[in-house]
Amino acid sequence: MSSRADVFATARVPETWFVEVVRTWAFARRNVIMARRNVFFVFELTFWPGVAMLSHGLLTRFLVLDAKMTAFILVGTVALSTVQVCQLDVAYAVLFDIWSKSMKHQFLTPIGIRHMAVGSWLVGVARGVTVFALMAAIGSWAFGFDFVGGGPGSLALFLLGCCLCSLIIGLFVCSLVLLFGTRAETSAWAAVNFTVMFSGIYYPVSVLPEWAQAVAAGIPLTYFLDAFRQGYGFEAQFAHAWLKGFALTGLYVVLAHWALASAITRARRTGLLLKLSE
Amino acid sequence: MLAVDAKDLWKTFRSGWFGRRRKEALRGASLQVPRGAIFGLLGPNGAGKTTLLSILATLLLPDSGSATILDHDVVREAGAIRRRLNMASGNASFVWSLRPPEVLSFYGGLYGLSGRRLRTKVDQLIEQCELGPYAKTEYNALSTGIKQRLAMAKALLNDPEVLFLDEPTLGLDPDVSIRLRAQIAALRRERGTTIILTTHYMREAEELCDEIAFIKAGRILAQGTADELKRQIRIGDVIALRLDPAAPRGLGELPGILQLQARGEHVDCTVDAVDKRLPEILRWLYEQGVLVRDCQVHEPELEEVFVELAR
Repeated sequence: MSSRADVFATARVPETWFVEVVRTWAFARRNVIMARRNVFFVFELTFWPGVAMLSHGLLTRFLVLDAKMTAFILVGTVALSTVQVCQLDVAYAVLFDIWSKSMKHQFLTPIGIRHMAVGSWLVGVARGVTVFALMAAIGSWAFGFDFVGGGPGSLALFLLGCCLCSLIIGLFVCSLVLLFGTRAETSAWAAVNFTVMFSGIYYPVSVLPEWAQAVAAGIPLTYFLDAFRQGYGFEAQFAHAWLKGFALTGLYVVLAHWALASAITRARRTGLLLKLSE
Repeated sequence: MLAVDAKDLWKTFRSGWFGRRRKEALRGASLQVPRGAIFGLLGPNGAGKTTLLSILATLLLPDSGSATILDHDVVREAGAIRRRLNMASGNASFVWSLRPPEVLSFYGGLYGLSGRRLRTKVDQLIEQCELGPYAKTEYNALSTGIKQRLAMAKALLNDPEVLFLDEPTLGLDPDVSIRLRAQIAALRRERGTTIILTTHYMREAEELCDEIAFIKAGRILAQGTADELKRQIRIGDVIALRLDPAAPRGLGELPGILQLQARGEHVDCTVDAVDKRLPEILRWLYEQGVLVRDCQVHEPELEEVFVELAR
């Protein structure tokens, strides 16, 4: 019997930092394969962002907005599309398994939230940056808009901020799905629209009623948009916007991780984890 | 040495508004499975088989009671268990666009396998489970039998010490079922894997399992080898006789005869203990002047034990 125990011990993979990378990479690779084989990924990556950029750009022409106001609107448009596409990838870490009813297999393995979140988020970052590049190209070609107008450093921070906001939204979507099952899967597309109202995507948060401004102050994307738009000559609405944005992001990443961990534990208690596999 | 030690497990599922509707899935289920055994878990639909396996597989949390797998607690040490355990079910499903090698690579990655080791393992399982011809077919386009083979291959990725098979041959062709059963037997023989199997096919349980537990309404009603269960349930052995002339009156009143079925010269006597009753019956028939032209003894099938317990 001891020789058989040795067989099992040899077959097991020791827990190292490299194994952490392997587990994370497995999720990233799955998202890449799915993106290559499913037509809805192509629409997410090209059609909807392209339509958004062209229609909003044309709206600025119709309203005869000057270059500064056009920049305000198009920065919002590109931020929304980037966040939307990037957060979908994080949500797919759970949604793929829900749609294919294979949820339990994933939770039978010795993985942590970090593996599925970071793995799928990395693909989301790549897709988000692709969406940004596509929209930047359309904006530059059709409306003469310069997306590096705020400086390359500001652009890099803005993109990082957008992607981190996507991680938070994606994790909250995963939590909702594991709390409420398939009824909550539409939150993957709806959640980001919460930011449209409050984060100052198409208008400055100063036009919002006071209570809504308080909500806006709790959303990191509000600060990233505010800081990035300062590069286009807009007045700052928040002091130390980058700092506050990233500090809030850090806090929400921890909260979102806790929320997802709690949702998984609850799904194990209620049996939802099994129901989502049947 | 126990691979599985579950004590007094209770689980109630709540549904509806404020969890008003309740369904007790497990009501104090206890189970001990020795290491290296093939253990059958039998019971009617809704008996609690899948709930019990899911708790042991760390997919479900029990309301109360305790369970250990390879001495690790299923609630507190889920991570340690998941490294050493795997599961395949008859209705398994995987992400629709992935091909069999990609499914195995994905889950292999989650078990920490990478590079050459992962490729070798995937190739080996593809060959072992005869998935080679379907390597380029997306999961959605696979037949039920091939999907089941893939589920089995996935379950072997981490060389599990404990393997749960939830109705693994459900809906499979007989030849595929036979091969799968051979694979299960080989796993225990060659690697010493502890296997817990739920099935509705009694012959499968009788052929494969060293020990069987019968679960009903969330409780383990009986546990033992197939022979022990047959004796425990006391559904009796059948003595099939061909008599000349036909069965005389009074045969059914003899002590130890549980049931008597007569069809012309053929008589089936179900008795409590064949060793004791057969000589008594033959002696009585001789005294009645009845000639016994044929006499056969049938042991009860496990299926009959199942029916009796499920009643």
